[in-house]
Amino acid sequence: MELIILLIVVAILAFWAVSIYNRLVALQNRHENGFSQIEVQLKRRYDLIPNLVETAKAYMAHERETLEAVIAARNQAMAGLEAAAGNPGDGNAMKELAGAEGVLANAMGRLNVVMEAYPDLKANTNMMQLTEELTSTENKVAFSRQAFNDQVTEYNTYRASFPPILFASLFGHPTDAELLEFEDSAEIQAAPKVSF
Amino acid sequence: MNFFQAQDKARGKTRLLTLLFIAAVVSLVVLTNLLVAVAIGVGVGPEALAAQPPETWLLISGGVMGVIAVASLFKFLMLRGGGRVVAESLGGQPIHQNTQNPQQRQLLNVVEEMAIAAGLPVPPVYLIPENSINAFAAGYGQDDAVIGINQGTLDLLNREELQGVVAHEFSHILNGDMRINIRLMALLSGILFIGIIGYGMLRGSTFSRSKDRGQAIALAFGLIIIGYGGTFFGNLIKAAVSRQREFLADASAVQFTRSSSGIANALKKIGGHTSGSQIQAKAADESSHMFFGAIKSFNRMMATHPPLEQRIKALQPQWQGSFEELDASSAPASAMGFAGASAAAPSSPEGVVSQIGQGQIDVAQNLLQACDATLANAAHDPYEARGLIYAMLIDADPKIAAAQLQKIHAHAEVGVPEHTENLLPLVRGSSLSQLLLLLEMAMPTLKELSYAQYKRFNANAAELIVFDQRVDIFEWVLHRVMTKDLYAHFEQPHRSQGRIGSLRRLQPELQHLLSVLAHRSGAAATCYKAGAEHLHLAQPMSALEYFDYEQLNAALAELRELKPHLKQQVLEACAAVALADGQMHPDQHALLHGIAATLDCPLPLIAQPE
Repeated sequence: MELIILLIVVAILAFWAVSIYNRLVALQNRHENGFSQIEVQLKRRYDLIPNLVETAKAYMAHERETLEAVIAARNQAMAGLEAAAGNPGDGNAMKELAGAEGVLANAMGRLNVVMEAYPDLKANTNMMQLTEELTSTENKVAFSRQAFNDQVTEYNTYRASFPPILFASLFGHPTDAELLEFEDSAEIQAAPKVSF
Repeated sequence: MNFFQAQDKARGKTRLLTLLFIAAVVSLVVLTNLLVAVAIGVGVGPEALAAQPPETWLLISGGVMGVIAVASLFKFLMLRGGGRVVAESLGGQPIHQNTQNPQQRQLLNVVEEMAIAAGLPVPPVYLIPENSINAFAAGYGQDDAVIGINQGTLDLLNREELQGVVAHEFSHILNGDMRINIRLMALLSGILFIGIIGYGMLRGSTFSRSKDRGQAIALAFGLIIIGYGGTFFGNLIKAAVSRQREFLADASAVQFTRSSSGIANALKKIGGHTSGSQIQAKAADESSHMFFGAIKSFNRMMATHPPLEQRIKALQPQWQGSFEELDASSAPASAMGFAGASAAAPSSPEGVVSQIGQGQIDVAQNLLQACDATLANAAHDPYEARGLIYAMLIDADPKIAAAQLQKIHAHAEVGVPEHTENLLPLVRGSSLSQLLLLLEMAMPTLKELSYAQYKRFNANAAELIVFDQRVDIFEWVLHRVMTKDLYAHFEQPHRSQGRIGSLRRLQPELQHLLSVLAHRSGAAATCYKAGAEHLHLAQPMSALEYFDYEQLNAALAELRELKPHLKQQVLEACAAVALADGQMHPDQHALLHGIAATLDCPLPLIAQPE
């Protein structure tokens, strides 16, 4: 009769392991789904940038280099996004996207500085709308990135806790998911150093 | 049949299923005992069995019941986690409320219209990456329900057909089918587990060399037969129940959309499509009965869905039996427009609580279209939606408003205060019923927040509500809806048992509830009388000096434990109070909304008092 007691104990242990497995899968699904929200916002941002450049072109013909740098960085970031969307949480893809975003942010920052010299451009209604929308979209990116990172952290914490850590590799969750960290926005927004 | 009757019936059915299940477990226990008797070689004669000490049989019986109980409970707890667990296990991805994809946008619009018309919370929608035409509704109650739609459904159906499919799924939510489904799935997995144990023993014993190996193998085979045999009969029951519910859901879909052609055409397209309604995901098997169409072809007895021909014939008796030939490349005809019919303003209290499907979807469609585009967009964006809710909570008094805005600047995330300020004039210009609509629209969007973001949002909203040291009616309703939808999603859904079968015990609560409503109209005494008569309530109207939300919450907490048909009476009485003076005051409309949300009842769209 020990057999039956043993069976029940085995059953409970099996369910316990299954519940760990399910929770790992659920948390992984959740953060992967969370990334698609960032994707929505980033795509919107990448759609806005060419419009902005188009509008700026009419006013600042002499700044072709800056404008081209923005477009190139935007294309780079878009490729990074596509790679990352296929595999959210993957360390390399996340770092690549973050790097491309950093370059884009730098290029945009330079463009902003250059635009200071063109008061006509800054007063253009179209331009004002685009800038406003870009700011708003950037806030939204930050917000959905925060949501994604919260979910990744939850997954990583659960994965690294005891007892799931014993099973995580076995169940196909060998590594932590990567947070998506962009370069600190404070640094980007800091005024460039001007030397006389 | 309305929502309340359906809920009562669903509960009755669940009881019947429980009885069937107990019978199944008892026979399983007896069978296992006999099996063990054979395996250990005592024979099955009555004397031989009686010769064994009774503890032996007690232990075996306890073991079997214990295993089934543990397995069922485990599955039940997992499924109770809500519809998103099921959707995610099928590979579903949530469609974001601010999606730019026109197909997905249309689907979200259809779901939103249907939910607003039925007075249900707008459920999150998941996209299942399969090319066949199918859909499902999953969840335990209405506040954690989700709807899943295959990519193929979006590609191949036009708007009218999509509406038919979505209406079918909503009927499952309204009729309480999901609850039955989840219990069935849990019980079945319990029985199946016995078979799995047998299978495990069989594999284990092939390697063992002990002397009672023969017995162990016999026992294992026995367990496999019992487990899989039990599952087989369980599946027969499941399929029989499911076929009934499918007919019912088809019929309700026609009632909701007032058109049988949408859903019938969708079924015809399944018949003509090369991959029909098949689902490839392995996890789909156990939830086969939740889907719109059969996920694979079974024989007649095991089929979870009636044959397509029968379903179409039931909808369109004159149908000649030709399916629409489809291959994956054919695109749907352009979206069908709907003639803008308007539902008459309800004149009877019965009409208010159970009138789904008399043109409300058209009304909902018109209302949503009439909604200010900026506000509607804000409600669909997880970032701006918070600004929208904050703006709704800003006081009319400029002094308080300024202090509240300051609070938002200090505590909300970057950019949100600006949205709040931008949206504020639009929100102030909206009517109360428009705000209620926007509130419902924002709920699925806010479910996309992360837990940490939700906590912050919730704390901020709560602070804004109590900022002026009092809670007005709109703030109360907003808090009720948020508690119902968001709390259920992020923390724990509140499950009311619905055990109280008499209104007599709850007379003081009813008295308070009706009095609160009556005080919102000019002729409070007459209005109260109309509602009290409906419930045969002898108590006089209580005098209320101000809107005491705590007492109202306490009363509603008791009333939500009523059985569904009694909740219907209570809601009807509330509607009677609100309608007694010939018109529904906006405050009363809002109160009804909050009361229905707290009682877990859908409140179908009411023709707007403008």
